Amino acid sequence: MILLALLAAPLYASEIAHTTSSENHLTDRVVVDGKPSDVVALDSTPIGPTWHRAYFLGADYNGRDLMVRLLYGARTSLLVGAGAVALSFLLGIPLALAAGYRRGRTDAVIIRIFDLLWSFPALLLGVLLSTALTIRGVQIGPVSIGSGSRLIPISVIGLVYVPYIARPLRGQVLALREQPFVEAARASGMRASALMRSELMPHLWSTLLVLSAIMMVNAVALEVALSFLGAGINPPEPSLGTLIEDGLTKTARSPHLLLAPSIALVLIVLTLNGLAEAFRRALDPHGALGLGLVRGE
Amino acid sequence: MIVFSIRRLFAALLTAWVASIIAFVLFWTVPNVDPSYWLGGGDKGTNATRALATEKYGLDDPLPVQYVRLMKNIVSGDVECFYGCANLRSAFLDALPATVSLVLGAALLSVGLGVWLALICVRHRGRWPDRVITSAAAAVYSVPSIVLGALLWAFVADKWGWFPNEGYVPLTDNPFGWVHHLVLPWIAAGLPFAGAYVLVVRASLLNGVNDDWVRTARAKGLSEQRVIRRHVLRTALIPPVNVWGLDFSHAFGGFALYVEAIFHVPGVGFLTADTVGSFDLPPIVALGIYLAVVVVVAGALVDIAIAWLDPRIRRAMPST
Repeated sequence: MILLALLAAPLYASEIAHTTSSENHLTDRVVVDGKPSDVVALDSTPIGPTWHRAYFLGADYNGRDLMVRLLYGARTSLLVGAGAVALSFLLGIPLALAAGYRRGRTDAVIIRIFDLLWSFPALLLGVLLSTALTIRGVQIGPVSIGSGSRLIPISVIGLVYVPYIARPLRGQVLALREQPFVEAARASGMRASALMRSELMPHLWSTLLVLSAIMMVNAVALEVALSFLGAGINPPEPSLGTLIEDGLTKTARSPHLLLAPSIALVLIVLTLNGLAEAFRRALDPHGALGLGLVRGE
Repeated sequence: MIVFSIRRLFAALLTAWVASIIAFVLFWTVPNVDPSYWLGGGDKGTNATRALATEKYGLDDPLPVQYVRLMKNIVSGDVECFYGCANLRSAFLDALPATVSLVLGAALLSVGLGVWLALICVRHRGRWPDRVITSAAAAVYSVPSIVLGALLWAFVADKWGWFPNEGYVPLTDNPFGWVHHLVLPWIAAGLPFAGAYVLVVRASLLNGVNDDWVRTARAKGLSEQRVIRRHVLRTALIPPVNVWGLDFSHAFGGFALYVEAIFHVPGVGFLTADTVGSFDLPPIVALGIYLAVVVVVAGALVDIAIAWLDPRIRRAMPST
């Protein structure tokens, strides 16, 4: 529900709060409980939560509506997370199928590369990759990504997590390929690519579903960490990471700037963890997939 | 054992070497990340200044030559920064004790707390202490340490001033100051891991409570606590130890980065986060490679420690 509600962020911004995520309202006044008050007071302290239509959660030091920024920020974080997970599936599934099914030299090469990536922390890889890409943007053939684009964190996080998806999948494919039905398909002369698609893939869906929820948590957490360190989403575009970074030093006078994004992030992670747990209970009651806690920071 | 250790360390150095090549290729040859552009003054540079920079730093040399030169600089620490900087290797080595303190403390906290609470869970399995601890662990595990750290720093340290909000005191100078500065970072980094470890260790312990030798131990009339501590725990710790090993080595390039940035602990993570913000290429590559070496060496040391504890692993081939 929380996740669905976030998709309605632009609607909230335009219909209820009448502002956008980066509009400044330094000199505006707002009526709270019948009294007019400054959005940003004379000593530059922004207004706290009003619990009214405008500035529901208060404003930041530029007079921007925190609720609107939070909704947009959470949406950006989730979009980046979902995009990254999709990308790592797109790369990880074919690699896992190839490695697990063909075995031999293909497997050895792929698994070496994964082991190499695996032995480095995702955050360090992510920071280095995204710095390299962010400095002047990327131009690979016809694809051109600007240095402030969301596609950079998406592709960085997606690439970093490929081994985290491919390793458990490869293990499953290795077990599946010895099953009689796969042998039967092979004996009947089925081509390897068709066999992977129509015989192996159907058995991987449940793993994929559970993995996608787990990886989504990791991807969102990594986005937050990257943005926090200044190597992810660039200000003024809000994301949970930049909002937390922004609120961190301002708690003395405006605790709402840190509390709101922190609580939002915890809620999102709790929801996603709950989702992962529900998928796992429904699809893998005996823990046969052996996923355990797939984590990566 | 010695053969295993040498082999494992060799594999670690091989990994670090491959990583250095990848880092070099990534930063030196990716389209548009052109060092001569930066050395020639960035946006304000002209073709002439760029040509001068290319000449000075030998950017026209073949890539292998440039690679060897960069690696020599990185080993000696005298990296040519575009904006100027001190000797990076000594800066890194000066910062390392703070990070090692942070990571070791967080590891002890998370493993100790995790095993202790899991033992309580298993002793009261299915009853309320088990349920309370398991749900608390799942909840704590869902609080990212970046959030926990930010809240602890902002409120407990910065606003209420119960703990220092920046800095680090070496253990040898003042043990009390050392603990005082690191308590909050330890909690921020260690608690979410402790939550995860409670669940992992508990599951592993529950797997073992009905093993044959455990039943024998019970039949001998040993107390439940003794049975769990002496007979179940020993074998049950083997799977989690591998998780801890990976988490421990990853910590140097993982939570160290942002926990140190939040608490202003002058460790290697803080140094790296600071450098990343400057967009200064050679020091970023250098620090990335230093951190990678720390990560793979820590991973190798953990593997050697595990092999020392469990003879079965010693005989297997070490992987990268």
